[in-house]
Amino acid sequence: MGGEAHGEVASTLAVETIVGHCQQAENSRATPTFGESKTDVSERTNRLASAIHLANRKVYEMASSNPGHRGMGATIVAAWVEEQKLSLAHVGDSRAYLLRAGSLEQLTADHSLVAEKVRIGILTPQEADASELQSVLTRAVGTNENVEVDADEQMLLAGDSLLLCSDGLSRMVTDPEIASILLTSISAQNAADRLVDLANENGGVDNVSVIVLRVQPKAEGVLDRLKIWKRNSG
Amino acid sequence: MSRLVLKFENAVLKEVSLGTRPVTIGRAPDNDLSIDNLAVSNYHARVYTEAGSLVVEDLNSLNGSFLNDIRIERAMLKDGDTIQIGKHQIWVDQTRDAAGFSNGARKAPAPRVSETMVLDTRQRREMFEQAAAAGERSQLSPDRLRVPTLTVLRGRTDKKEYRLAGKLTVIGRSPMATVRLRGWFTPNIAAQINKHEDGYYLGRGDVVPKINGVEIRALTKLDDGDLIEVGRVRLNFLYRD
Repeated sequence: MGGEAHGEVASTLAVETIVGHCQQAENSRATPTFGESKTDVSERTNRLASAIHLANRKVYEMASSNPGHRGMGATIVAAWVEEQKLSLAHVGDSRAYLLRAGSLEQLTADHSLVAEKVRIGILTPQEADASELQSVLTRAVGTNENVEVDADEQMLLAGDSLLLCSDGLSRMVTDPEIASILLTSISAQNAADRLVDLANENGGVDNVSVIVLRVQPKAEGVLDRLKIWKRNSG
Repeated sequence: MSRLVLKFENAVLKEVSLGTRPVTIGRAPDNDLSIDNLAVSNYHARVYTEAGSLVVEDLNSLNGSFLNDIRIERAMLKDGDTIQIGKHQIWVDQTRDAAGFSNGARKAPAPRVSETMVLDTRQRREMFEQAAAAGERSQLSPDRLRVPTLTVLRGRTDKKEYRLAGKLTVIGRSPMATVRLRGWFTPNIAAQINKHEDGYYLGRGDVVPKINGVEIRALTKLDDGDLIEVGRVRLNFLYRD
């Protein structure tokens, strides 16, 4: 946001801050938290949200103190997976999708003007797609001193595919096309490449960022459990 | 016109029409459906309509109310369901036939869950003891805050009731599950419930759960009174005050 160069600066600073904060928290319990803690999600999910609050502060401070960077901002979608648990946090209209049992579900709610209007009911999804105001955001990282971060969590299952993407993808590729690519690609990397290619083919002018995560079944099964039991009792 | 038919050992005793007003059931004579029997509490249960659906609610009775052999606090009713109160049965009839006391020409009540559930005497006794130990419960008030809860009707779990406090509720054997199931072959993540802005949604885990007897196809919103089946475990989703 704020022009290509500034968008780069904001995004890079945001990502570095988020990753750094989470890593620091893993190593030191005394790491402070930023933003309000939510009572309905776990510590890790709160930590991820805290990281985005910190990133917001840092980008905002850089934008305020640098006339060249005025108005810069970014959107963020972040996923933290540990064992089977997914912590998800986002600000803006970058999205997370979950493909499970052949069905695609958008996990995040866009923080855009048209999406808010659809949620309230004053605009239909079709009208939203055709609207010229599609890229107007109601929330972003770095444009205000404080920001509200949406956080959620899910258990991931074997066979799931998780997709994180910028609006550069979702504007150019439809949900059914996304589902189809996720279902038929031979690997996560293959899926990511195909999604980006399709976005560009469809006339994508924006930067497209895509991350695909595939959940593989663990080798351990009933037989392994039985083996363990025998060892303990024998 | 829907009606409730009160029966005792297959003999029809009385019936009452279901209009817009709730129908109360109990031993006291001022109930709409009064049952003169010591096993029935003065104000035992009531049946009312909510958002187009018929709902039966136990009024904290001593011996409990049962729907198709499963003890319930509150549950949705369908045509053909049978509510058991003490030794009496109340049959839900939503067919358009004329009123009458004939008990021969009716279709058989359809089972509401995929298999018939019969509680054995030990489980039933445990539930009576649990009800007695539960003590007072505050009277229902629509203005109070409603807390989403899961009540265990059947199955091996670590608690009998759970409050849904978080955005994610995991049902399974995993140590990080809220509703911890027991059993050697129970999956770690059997099912999960997600809190969205507009309510609670049940999703699959390693098992495809059922809501009111029907397997879910995708994330499905839970309504007050829904019966959830995850494998052999049966849970009642309720908004409590």
